[in-house]
Amino acid sequence: MSFLKITSAHKAYRTPEGAMVHALNDVSLDIRNNEFLTLLGPSGCGKTTLLKCISGFEDIDSGEISLEGKDLKGVPAHRRPFNTVFQNYALFPHLNIADNVGYGLDVAKVARKQRDLRVEEALELVGLTGFGSREPNQLSGGQQQRVALARSLILRPRVLLLDEPLSALDRKMRENMQIELKMLQDSVGITFVFVTHDQEEALAMSDRIAVISDGKVQQVASPTEVYDEPANEFVANFVGTSNIFTGRIFEKQGNIVTIETANQRKVQAESDRFGVGDHVQLILRPEHLKFTPGGNGVPDNCIEGVVETCIFVGSDLHLHVDVGKGRKAVVHHRHDRGNADEKIEAGSQVKLYYSPRAAHLIKAVVN
Amino acid sequence: MLDKILSSRFWSWLFKGYGIVFLIFLYLPLGLIFVYSFNANSINMAVWTDFTFDWYLTIFGGANSQSEFDAAFTESPERIFEVVRNSAVVALCASTISTVIGTATAIALQRYNFAGKKFYQALLILPMIVPDIVLGIALLIFFVGAGFELSLLTIIIGHTTFLASYVFIVVSARLAGMDTTLEQASADLGAGPLTTFRRVTLPQIMPGVVGGFLLAFIISLDDVVITYFIAGVGSQTLPIFILAMMRRGLRPQINALAVLLLAFSFVVAAIGLYLRSRKT
Amino acid sequence: MAGSGAILARKRRTLILLLAPLTLMLSVFFLIPLSIMVIYSFLEPGLYGGVEWNWYPYNYGRILGWPLNDFETFEVIYLKIFLNSAQIAVMTVIVTFLLSYPAAFWVSRMTGARKNLALFLITLPFFANMLVRIYAWLLLLRPTGFFNTILQSTGLIAEPLNLLFTNFSVIIGMVYILTPFMFLPIYASVEKLDYSLVRASQDLGANPIQTFRRVILPLTAPGIIGGSVIVFIPALGNFIVPAFLGGSKVQMTGNLIERSFLQSRDWPFGAALALLIMAFVVILVMFQISRQNRAAERGIA
Repeated sequence: MSFLKITSAHKAYRTPEGAMVHALNDVSLDIRNNEFLTLLGPSGCGKTTLLKCISGFEDIDSGEISLEGKDLKGVPAHRRPFNTVFQNYALFPHLNIADNVGYGLDVAKVARKQRDLRVEEALELVGLTGFGSREPNQLSGGQQQRVALARSLILRPRVLLLDEPLSALDRKMRENMQIELKMLQDSVGITFVFVTHDQEEALAMSDRIAVISDGKVQQVASPTEVYDEPANEFVANFVGTSNIFTGRIFEKQGNIVTIETANQRKVQAESDRFGVGDHVQLILRPEHLKFTPGGNGVPDNCIEGVVETCIFVGSDLHLHVDVGKGRKAVVHHRHDRGNADEKIEAGSQVKLYYSPRAAHLIKAVVN
Repeated sequence: MLDKILSSRFWSWLFKGYGIVFLIFLYLPLGLIFVYSFNANSINMAVWTDFTFDWYLTIFGGANSQSEFDAAFTESPERIFEVVRNSAVVALCASTISTVIGTATAIALQRYNFAGKKFYQALLILPMIVPDIVLGIALLIFFVGAGFELSLLTIIIGHTTFLASYVFIVVSARLAGMDTTLEQASADLGAGPLTTFRRVTLPQIMPGVVGGFLLAFIISLDDVVITYFIAGVGSQTLPIFILAMMRRGLRPQINALAVLLLAFSFVVAAIGLYLRSRKT
Repeated sequence: MAGSGAILARKRRTLILLLAPLTLMLSVFFLIPLSIMVIYSFLEPGLYGGVEWNWYPYNYGRILGWPLNDFETFEVIYLKIFLNSAQIAVMTVIVTFLLSYPAAFWVSRMTGARKNLALFLITLPFFANMLVRIYAWLLLLRPTGFFNTILQSTGLIAEPLNLLFTNFSVIIGMVYILTPFMFLPIYASVEKLDYSLVRASQDLGANPIQTFRRVILPLTAPGIIGGSVIVFIPALGNFIVPAFLGGSKVQMTGNLIERSFLQSRDWPFGAALALLIMAFVVILVMFQISRQNRAAERGIA
């Protein structure tokens, strides 16, 4: 039996200006027990709406949300076995940390002794032992975050919903919390549904990622799959950076296909799925593009171009290469200290090449 | 130039000087009552003769050293006690009821979207802008026509009609400043609507509710015009009682009574203003 | 839209529950009484108080000159009193404005605790009982009062000045009661005043008077107009101030209404007078609301 299942969920609302917005447009999603699932998408894509519909703060217009086969329609938020960690933490300012964490137990009228014990446990779980008597405003952002986690986890929810919980933290803190959250999820064994617009965060933490855009689920897959085999152009561009070449396969040898792009460039890729005559898009990650300075010693299957900009970002060198006819290619080159070949400047002639195995093909939308 | 001029020494002193004159204008008249209330001269208050507590004592039934002439103008302590009690009962009941009604309405208008929202907003402003005298006679006509006997109850009803609007405004401001995700968080943690209200919303808006209550309390306590029309013979409040005393002539006893009323109003107002300025 | 669902239905029930008390109270004890008052103003006064249920628009005729019947005559005194009330209310607005405007700048240039203290001191008298505040001016202005005693003792005057029972004393009393109503809205708009605009105006070559007239005054106008409306309304209908500080010399419409209700027992006539005041108020408030709406539209555009 499926665990948390969303079937053909629709939700539309009217903006104050009168336009209809389809926040959820036929969303179906099967969330597995004990997994860390991330809803990833740009702001306004519907991911937060979906979270609110799961937690019960909003109704879906049509479709179904069910937990272990039981429809949740009409079940108000406070009767759903889900808990939420809010973006701004939403700690009750009039209660101290222990009372914040114990709130759910107090509401459920759990006996005092057991309640105190469980509050202690929950605070220990998030590394805040001894913070019980402090006030929320005395805590740092990261600590407030942990309190919010403890407050939700203490109720042992079936699903923990996290609404961009790390967005208010600074970069360092955010990276630490990513690891902690992942470890926490492993140790408590609760399904986490995590909303974010940050693709790195999604890749780092998730068992699976659901990429959402325009109220639709674009792809649901593991982080490596989403990155290596994006289902469509949106996913390819939103998760990581992509070089995309659109064209038609005109030759196939073994599982190596050769594609001719609209401007007569020939590129190769490995594919079992596609055959001669198919319209495809070739997706190539910038780190899979290699370059040699222009001139001799050219491998097969290469693209010539002129370096437009060269940006040093520390671990990598980012090249933007003009490959002719207004097309640009992005190359991420691992920084190699003291390598003379790296002496690339704007204006340099380069040849770009890649292994056909690194290229991913998707069906092109032909109009 | 202008802001330079404004902050130049000359203008700065001019503003400061004016500010002090403004404050003197606001406080001199009230201060005068305070000073007069301790003046033993019962013939002309403006001429200081001696310091005395007599005027306060007569209110509480002490210091019966007055002439017969004075006694004719002096109300018995029992009578004063009765009108003070009336005022307290009216102010407490009216402000309590209007606090409940005003708070409920504020929650409805702040937390829900519905078709008649604009109508309610206009309806709530109305009782505050209708002149007191108009509301007073409208209520008088209504109560007499509907067969109500004019009593403390009619005063309480009359006050509640316009006090709820004041509470509404104070509580609304507080609600608007409150983070709505707190209520969501509470529901998320298993609390039903009532529990959420009791444990999260109410503690959060409490300063506003108390502030609104105190404001309503003072306005009710001080109301003259509306009460004037709908108070029955046996249901005089303190302001109506003072009004009647003032109509009969200015006696030192009024000074003492006025100072006590002022002191009480100011203490309640100070608590209210303090609560409003405090940010949680 | 399909199925708003059970969550919405529950919300609607709560909403109805929350709005019910106010709706009930304001309909029964506010809207109905006001409507009855309107009806009363068109009924015939009973011989010994009360009303006869006959259509009788002549109450208005007594005040306005039309319509009239054989029993009612047009008395120009009522219009005179009404105009005098309006005049006193306008004067009150002007004086409270002149007092409050500089005071608002004075307070707005303060900082921190001083500012809070100043605001507190200015708002506090608002909570003093209206009667007590009028009483204070009675003590100040009467022939044996504070001012006359001081002036006489310094020998500046021989006989007490006649300060009480004049339009002047009534206006002073009104101003004293209503100043906070003027100060607070003006202060709110002065506090919002963006001084960089003042600097920009000077930078563009305007002298201080031009800057004041073309920048500061228009920008603080919403507060001035708002304050004027909420001072004018209670001033127009007030009858306590003229009753004590105006005596029998200064009559205002409020006194007429009071007398027709509690002395001559001519309720329809009193109701008609009250409706005239209400008409003034409604016009003013509608003017204020339309002005606010226009300002809001301009704000968006």
